[in-house]
Amino acid sequence: MISKDEIKHLGWLSRLELTEEGISKYAFQIKEIVGYLDKLDSISLTEIEPVRSKKKISELRKDHVKPFTGDALEGSKNRKDGFIKGPRLI
Amino acid sequence: MMSEIKIGLEIHCQLTYLQSKLFCSCYCDYRFKIPNSNVCPVCSGLPGTLPLLNQNALEHAGLLSIALGCNVPNEIVFYRKNYFYLDLPKNFQLTQYNAYGITSIGVNGKLEFEADTKRHARIRRIQIEEDPGRLVYENNTVDNSFYTLIDYNRAGVPLVEIVTEPDFTTPKEVRIFLNKITSIIEHLRICDTRLEGAVRCDVNVSIGEGKRVEIKNIGSFKEVEKALSYEITRQKTMSFHEIEIKAETRHWDDARKITKQARVKETEEDYRYFPDPDIPTVVLDNAFLLTLKRNMPELPDERKRRFIAHYELSDHISQVLIDNKELSDFFESAVNIYPSPKAIANWIVSDLIKFINGDNHSQPQSNDQGGTFHSGLKIEAKHIAELAQLVDQNIINRNTAKGFLNQIIKTGEMPSQLVKKTNTSKIDDKNMILEAIETVFRSEKSAVNDARQNSKAINFLLGRIMQLTKGKVDPKIALDLIKKKLIESS
Amino acid sequence: MVNLCSLTAEQIVKGIINGDFSAEEYISQILERIEKIDDKINAFIIVDSSGALEKARIIDKKVRNGEDEKDIGALAGVAVGIKDNICTRGLRTTCASKMLQDYVPPYDATVVKKLKDNGAIIVGKLNLDEFAMGSTTEFSMYGSTHNPWNIGYVPGGSSGGSAASVAASECALSLGSDTGGSVRCPASFCSIVGLKPTYGRVSRFGLISYANSLEQVGPMGKTVSDIVMVMNSISGMDNNDQTTLDSETPRYALRPKGNIRVGLLKELVEGAEPEISKCIYSAMDLFSKLDCKCQETSMKSIEYALASYYTIAMAESSSNLARYDNIRYGFDLSPDSYEWNAYFAKVRSNFGEEVKRRIIAGSYVLSSGYYGKYYLKAQKVRAMLKQEISLLLKTFDVLIGPTMPVLPFKVSEKIDDPLKMYMIDIDTVIANLTGIPAISVPAGFGKNLPIGLQIMAGEFQEQILFDAASLFESAANVHRSPEL
Repeated sequence: MISKDEIKHLGWLSRLELTEEGISKYAFQIKEIVGYLDKLDSISLTEIEPVRSKKKISELRKDHVKPFTGDALEGSKNRKDGFIKGPRLI
Repeated sequence: MMSEIKIGLEIHCQLTYLQSKLFCSCYCDYRFKIPNSNVCPVCSGLPGTLPLLNQNALEHAGLLSIALGCNVPNEIVFYRKNYFYLDLPKNFQLTQYNAYGITSIGVNGKLEFEADTKRHARIRRIQIEEDPGRLVYENNTVDNSFYTLIDYNRAGVPLVEIVTEPDFTTPKEVRIFLNKITSIIEHLRICDTRLEGAVRCDVNVSIGEGKRVEIKNIGSFKEVEKALSYEITRQKTMSFHEIEIKAETRHWDDARKITKQARVKETEEDYRYFPDPDIPTVVLDNAFLLTLKRNMPELPDERKRRFIAHYELSDHISQVLIDNKELSDFFESAVNIYPSPKAIANWIVSDLIKFINGDNHSQPQSNDQGGTFHSGLKIEAKHIAELAQLVDQNIINRNTAKGFLNQIIKTGEMPSQLVKKTNTSKIDDKNMILEAIETVFRSEKSAVNDARQNSKAINFLLGRIMQLTKGKVDPKIALDLIKKKLIESS
Repeated sequence: MVNLCSLTAEQIVKGIINGDFSAEEYISQILERIEKIDDKINAFIIVDSSGALEKARIIDKKVRNGEDEKDIGALAGVAVGIKDNICTRGLRTTCASKMLQDYVPPYDATVVKKLKDNGAIIVGKLNLDEFAMGSTTEFSMYGSTHNPWNIGYVPGGSSGGSAASVAASECALSLGSDTGGSVRCPASFCSIVGLKPTYGRVSRFGLISYANSLEQVGPMGKTVSDIVMVMNSISGMDNNDQTTLDSETPRYALRPKGNIRVGLLKELVEGAEPEISKCIYSAMDLFSKLDCKCQETSMKSIEYALASYYTIAMAESSSNLARYDNIRYGFDLSPDSYEWNAYFAKVRSNFGEEVKRRIIAGSYVLSSGYYGKYYLKAQKVRAMLKQEISLLLKTFDVLIGPTMPVLPFKVSEKIDDPLKMYMIDIDTVIANLTGIPAISVPAGFGKNLPIGLQIMAGEFQEQILFDAASLFESAANVHRSPEL
């Protein structure tokens, strides 16, 4: 049910570098896990809606500015002229 | 065979009149700041931080939804759009999504506009979402860089996205529609569209049975028409040569004025949308909707109708004015100073408009009451008002006034000052003026009678005196004396 | 010299305020003890000796100056350990992962700030399963934590360090986090008290997210009284967390009293190892003797709870962990010359196996076409569980059962079978899915290994929970310290 190709694709979606061995192992384990989750199929529940917490607009944050004192990105190692350095786009 | 052209739009508009960002209390205004100086743990995606939804963002987005005829649902939800990119601090974007029930702030709207005929475009949805950060490359090109520079100052800035159905059939229609949207947004005061990057538009185009092509990276609204024209030609050419048009995303290259295949292969991304657990469902109750309706400013169409009815302006002139909120605000300020709407409108539409640079990248200095222009011109409503008045009073003729305009725009001097300056030989000899007044009073008896009741008629008398004296009389003194004489002789 | 380390928080505060001993004396003993025994237990990732002693001296100065108790703090001088997925400003916070190896947060979690404001002294950061994903604290970059009752056995997880440190008297209190049982499980395995508050009772700002619709920060300590003290410090609405309840926070009191209607969830007892069921039935008897109306009851939808939990938890985790790309925080690896996708994939290969497993499974259940079948369905199951438990809580004030279906087991015993490991969460996930508060209190021993009694109450009914828990605690009197 869960093929190695699917695991490869999921690895790509999640940006996880997987070895061939890893792919095989995960394929097996995920298949088992998802097999268990399929238990959810055994109950219908069409009339039930998920419950979410609700708030009124007035309970949300007011539009005030409060700048962060200090440098939020102080710990970042790779900086250049204030920018954060990242890998290149192709 | 007529191939049906279908164009749809995706417009992103920053909510620039908010103080803070969408999910944190950093400044919403990120422009021209030192990189990464306008960030906090939340918008830079530090571990352990949670989004804090800005209530005013919902109001501004709600106003837009209503203005575009959308339904506003009872409850809205924010979703996560999961994908990786260097400008995304969390590697997901907080946005809205309508697959499992309506959760975005507006759906199923409609906006009418006039191209060659009366048309309308359906608004599929309006949603609120956050802007990502900005990527900068060394030497400004992606190709030669070993690394990318990331600035999160813009990350978390609030956006509304407007998605239309593919109801447009020509680039011109799109241009007209975008002008109208701009005017509406300006009138709502939710976005200062003159700020760089405040409004962006992606398009999708298909011809006949051909696949849909998306075009991104169009720098400004002005470029949209060009990009569409190019792309339609490209697709038509391909069709003619029976080359298949693939469904793809292309980028607009502003320098070379062409669309090209997206550099990064935008593979079928699976965004794995799900509702964000940290942001509660927001209930939009009747009180909220009533507040929106109450706070709804006058929209362009309404304003146009008012201009036609109240100021008796023509359809065309009214349209030109409301197309640009700055102009219509300027107009009304001027009319408030000197009530001569037709003349003032004419001045603006025929003469002033030439001086206003449409592609305005200048820094905004605010006088948001519409008294000044933001393009750095020194002209204000009071100048045009006085200009119109002087012409009405026959103190100067229209040609002279036109000449004055050039000067005023550069120096900001009042027209009356210019009149003084250029009028070298002035007759201020009281007796001479009185003589002229006597002459005019004798020949214009009915006007004199009128003038006793109606101050407008005084202008007429003054005008006759100016004519008589070939404009050499000092109008202020003359006016004084006329008034005195009217009182004396009544 | 009195052994100050084994004192409860309540006793420490009293002693310091009364001048029986100084905070510095106490903290010094604590630090000494950690130094002496933590090699065996491995509860701590970092110990902040200098910071702790400095704070102790400040407290002592306040006491000497005769300052008001309120200003010295309700938790004055108490040694607290913080699970290393809760942000502490200036103190490295790693989630036991290479992906946050060097991360020093520039801000304190709200719960940390509140503890500090109340005079508590943070002695260090505690070991956990990487990113809180696990039930045994074996999935940590810093090695397994061991159960003080039997080194070589697991302490439970994911807040294993938090539980072991308290059980071993390395600190009086600790904070853990509970997503599917991660506070209660180790509390049960280590014979201490651990609480998962109602969802929204305590701020999650600064708690590094694993599954944000399920988790809460939870206090852990030796007595229910200590838990009450912490809850009075850390509960409440927080402007930095919009999922906290917008209401006046009650002050919790310790008032063990009878007359509580107790329901025993039979599905939970029946699924447990025999020593455990026996212990829980005894607990039930004890409640009866204490003037409580006890009755066995049933919750049919329990059978779907675990599937619902893991679907939701893994889905949310796959998204919550996306931000770890080593660009702003992580470990030392320059991005120069890497193409960005390759860089991301390479750095993220440093997640441990269990984390990767959950990210992949989580992406799977959220992926195109599967959302309705898994995530949405799981949320519906959740709603159903909520309905059922609300109904039960009309008849009963509290629901009880074992915290864990198994006794603590040996390190490495279940580590190769993920699904088997997941199964032991069966008793605890209910409270996370329904949002209700749940506490684990020591109930006894089986084969010389700790057994915990779990008590659950209605949403925001922590006071009733404390009533029942303290009642049981005094009567059951399961107070022992592991020999270390």
